Amino acid sequence: MIAIRADRGRLWTVLGMLAVLHFAVRPRIGYPAAAPDFLLLALMLFAIRSRPGAAALAGFLVGLAGDAVTPARVGAGALAHTIVGYFAAWGRAVFFPDNLFVNGLVIVFGVWARNAIELFASGPGVGGLTMQLLVWSPIQAITTALSAAVVLVVFQRWLDIRLEA
Amino acid sequence: MAPGSDRSLSRRDSALFLLCVALSIVMLLRPEVGNWVTGVIRVSVMRPFLWMQQRAEESRTSRGSFDRLRAERDSAVYAAQFLPSLRAENQRLRSLLQLRDRLPVSYVSADVLHQSQPTDGRTLILSAGKKAGVRAFDAVVSAEGLIGVIRVVDGERSLAWTWTHPEFRASAFTIPGNVFGVVRPALELTGSDQVLQLRGVAIRDTVPTGTVVITSGLGGVYPQGIPVGTVIGQAAEETGWERIYLVRPAANPQNAEQVLILHVTRDTSVARAFTRESAP
Repeated sequence: MIAIRADRGRLWTVLGMLAVLHFAVRPRIGYPAAAPDFLLLALMLFAIRSRPGAAALAGFLVGLAGDAVTPARVGAGALAHTIVGYFAAWGRAVFFPDNLFVNGLVIVFGVWARNAIELFASGPGVGGLTMQLLVWSPIQAITTALSAAVVLVVFQRWLDIRLEA
Repeated sequence: MAPGSDRSLSRRDSALFLLCVALSIVMLLRPEVGNWVTGVIRVSVMRPFLWMQQRAEESRTSRGSFDRLRAERDSAVYAAQFLPSLRAENQRLRSLLQLRDRLPVSYVSADVLHQSQPTDGRTLILSAGKKAGVRAFDAVVSAEGLIGVIRVVDGERSLAWTWTHPEFRASAFTIPGNVFGVVRPALELTGSDQVLQLRGVAIRDTVPTGTVVITSGLGGVYPQGIPVGTVIGQAAEETGWERIYLVRPAANPQNAEQVLILHVTRDTSVARAFTRESAP
């Protein structure tokens, strides 16, 4: 029991650190549309270690927080994060999450899918979807996946994973 | 684990997922509910995080040394000659400083707290709120021109709709002032050009490419004289009584790092402040 609590505590510590990184470090990284999304990364790390229901709820809450600070169309972020969280947890049975490359691919697809769902749910905008989905979203997906690789390698023991080549 | 309990867990997962999706759709369909919920979250749960982001933005954009920069800008320019990104940021700050000097109205300067969502830019969180004297419907400008309008004001922060927001509208006219119209974003599902439309131009009027469009002051939200953009051509879409022109915006909200929030009384013109920036 104590070991499980300690593991949970470590997971929450890593998630908390990612939340702090998102707000305190991300603004310094560069162009906002290309900088890694540490909150989504935290959601994905939580989702692939949780049941789909819990991951959907976590996604809803993260999305709601995003909607609070980018309320272009309130509900779009909550919907997108809920779907991504749920399917990331559900897809754990299909994918092999302890592989660094597969983890990276899941995160790349998660970021891109979140952006696509959110843009479609928000309705048409200036500049259309082309630039967002074909340029900025892939860049953000890759920077987020690279950040995930660093987090997974650095906190390998804390997250209790075995990263195979 | 017994198969029965596994099935009940799986049912609970599906139920939670559907509940979250349903709540999201309710907020999409009933924006007033969503706005109330997110407003509460913004001033409670998100407050420390936004505070953290504001400090990070301030240190990145050197707003702390904003005033010092005014005195030292010449040496800073010299130092920044060798660093393109620093030079670009310095240029923006210098433009903003010069604009501040020229503005005939009171204003509040604010940092833009950009977010990671793909819709960032349609709305912007600004680092000044009620305590700094910001009010709803104050105009938001950068050194280049019009950014948007304040819609929600919290104690320490405010939320602006930018010209990329689907519901943005502004009354405008072309220089030298003979053609009036309403500016709105050119919404599209595909494509990549960020442009505005100048609509409502009488069919008898023509506007040459390269004409500068500025706010007219009609409607009482935006003061007269803020550069909106430059006409780049006529839209294919045209109705029987109006011409629609495409306008390349003067300012890009996605690149804005510092903005000025104007306190303007009715019939005030800020055209002279923007003269240099708005020149084609």
